[in-house]
Amino acid sequence: MIVKVLNNWYSGSNKLERLWLLAKIEFKLRYYENKLGVFWALLKPIMDIGIYYIVFQVIMKQDVPAFASYLFIGLIIFNFFIESTSGTIQILNTKKYLYEYSNMNKLEIYMSTLLSNVIGFSFNILMFLLYYNFIEPQSLGSNVESLWMFPIFINVFILSLGVSLILSNIFVIAKDINQIWQVFATCLFFLSPVFYKLSSFKEALPNFDYANPIAGIIINARRVMMQGIQPDFELMFFDFGYALSFLFIGLILLNKLGSKAAEKL
Amino acid sequence: MENNIAIKARNISKTFKISEDSHNTVKHRLFNLFNPPRTKYVPAVKSMTLEIMKGECIGLLGRNGCGKSTLVKLLAGVYPTDSGYININGSTMLMNLGVGMSHELTARENIYVSGSVLGLKIKEIDAIFDEIVAFAELEGFIDTKIKFYSSGMVARLGFSIAVNAGADIMFLDEIFAVGDAKFQEKAVKVFESSWIKGKTVILVSHSLEVIRQYCNRAAFLKNGELKYIGDTEEAIALYLKDNEIIVKSESAEPVVAEEALTAAALSA
Repeated sequence: MIVKVLNNWYSGSNKLERLWLLAKIEFKLRYYENKLGVFWALLKPIMDIGIYYIVFQVIMKQDVPAFASYLFIGLIIFNFFIESTSGTIQILNTKKYLYEYSNMNKLEIYMSTLLSNVIGFSFNILMFLLYYNFIEPQSLGSNVESLWMFPIFINVFILSLGVSLILSNIFVIAKDINQIWQVFATCLFFLSPVFYKLSSFKEALPNFDYANPIAGIIINARRVMMQGIQPDFELMFFDFGYALSFLFIGLILLNKLGSKAAEKL
Repeated sequence: MENNIAIKARNISKTFKISEDSHNTVKHRLFNLFNPPRTKYVPAVKSMTLEIMKGECIGLLGRNGCGKSTLVKLLAGVYPTDSGYININGSTMLMNLGVGMSHELTARENIYVSGSVLGLKIKEIDAIFDEIVAFAELEGFIDTKIKFYSSGMVARLGFSIAVNAGADIMFLDEIFAVGDAKFQEKAVKVFESSWIKGKTVILVSHSLEVIRQYCNRAAFLKNGELKYIGDTEEAIALYLKDNEIIVKSESAEPVVAEEALTAAALSA
């Protein structure tokens, strides 16, 4: 099925152009409409980092080396995941105008929205690199292992796409998946090593980094971006497994439930 | 020969499930597990088989609530069918008073998005952009969000995009009611000069003149069934006959009331 979808994808010549166009418009809608504009996209992670830094480093004295960078990389990955999932639950409703009057492939709508999140993510990762290499006092500097960030990011992307597909298609038949996911996402946030010291996280919840797909991704991202070592391949294997199975379930749901979106929503 | 078919539909049917008390939240569903909502089934399209050739202009006739709009949505690939299969060759565009446009976007963005969805490249849209704006008579409002437009302006923009960009297969649902007399005249002119050639058009209209003038074939639908497809005059005759019977039976209240109910349910 996936092969068929991909084949459809590249057969049309304007598909990539269309994805990029929709992504750009989506990005513009999100940021340029507000007074702060793109500035907010840069400001938000900084403010988040400030909050968690005060709580966990100043008050609770966790004593993690280079804690600001530690938070930074964890937060931008987690935020990408949340924006791409919570932010897209109602996508079939808000983007109805795209498929209601034509036989456009719905998967393109998801891809374009996620692509616009990728634009934001790229800004953030660039900021991280600048901060880590030039400002962070305890920095070890980036090295060639940082390139592992690409497969790790593909992993987050597939995971987000899969979860987004599942949630937004369930939304077609049950609207309150929205509230349920909010609680679940909060739960996931506190059960991920975003602001905990990794050793205490692993001690308190043994093997949980294998059960929580986003935890492994954050751990690996820190290994390659901050410690300059190779990712934990076993963990990576698990996380790709999760991502691909979610994507698979999501595509099935898109076929079963998503096709009815035009009449149900 | 196979390549000349634009849409091939075999035994397609569509039944709408209308629940009186819709349980569309998980909570409702849980509380009413053993108390399912009362549902009513409205068979909108009953087992139709038809083939539409490329470059053909087909008219759809039938009284309100006979399943025209549902059939159009099935053929355009917007609704999934309950049974049978549909093979669509090419991009489709459904057009009635509102065409797929986002009210949050400006006219410029909508033109690019719609054009792209219809299968054009950005460069091709650049080339026809001015034409679209000029045709819609919207110069000076291009960078305004269309939520600030009047309904007439939105309809004109939609029409203009459709006329200038156009999908391979166009479904036109009562479109000649857009704009003032001058705009309509212009629309008809474009329709005659460029659309009829090359594009596959499925025309839904209650205007027999329009059907008679443009369509090489016409279909007559009644109560969700395809009663006739073929010669235009024949279909129009059947349609007129159907209308006549209803006018006569207006004294017989129950028939009319039931028809009206189905029609209301279908359009809901």
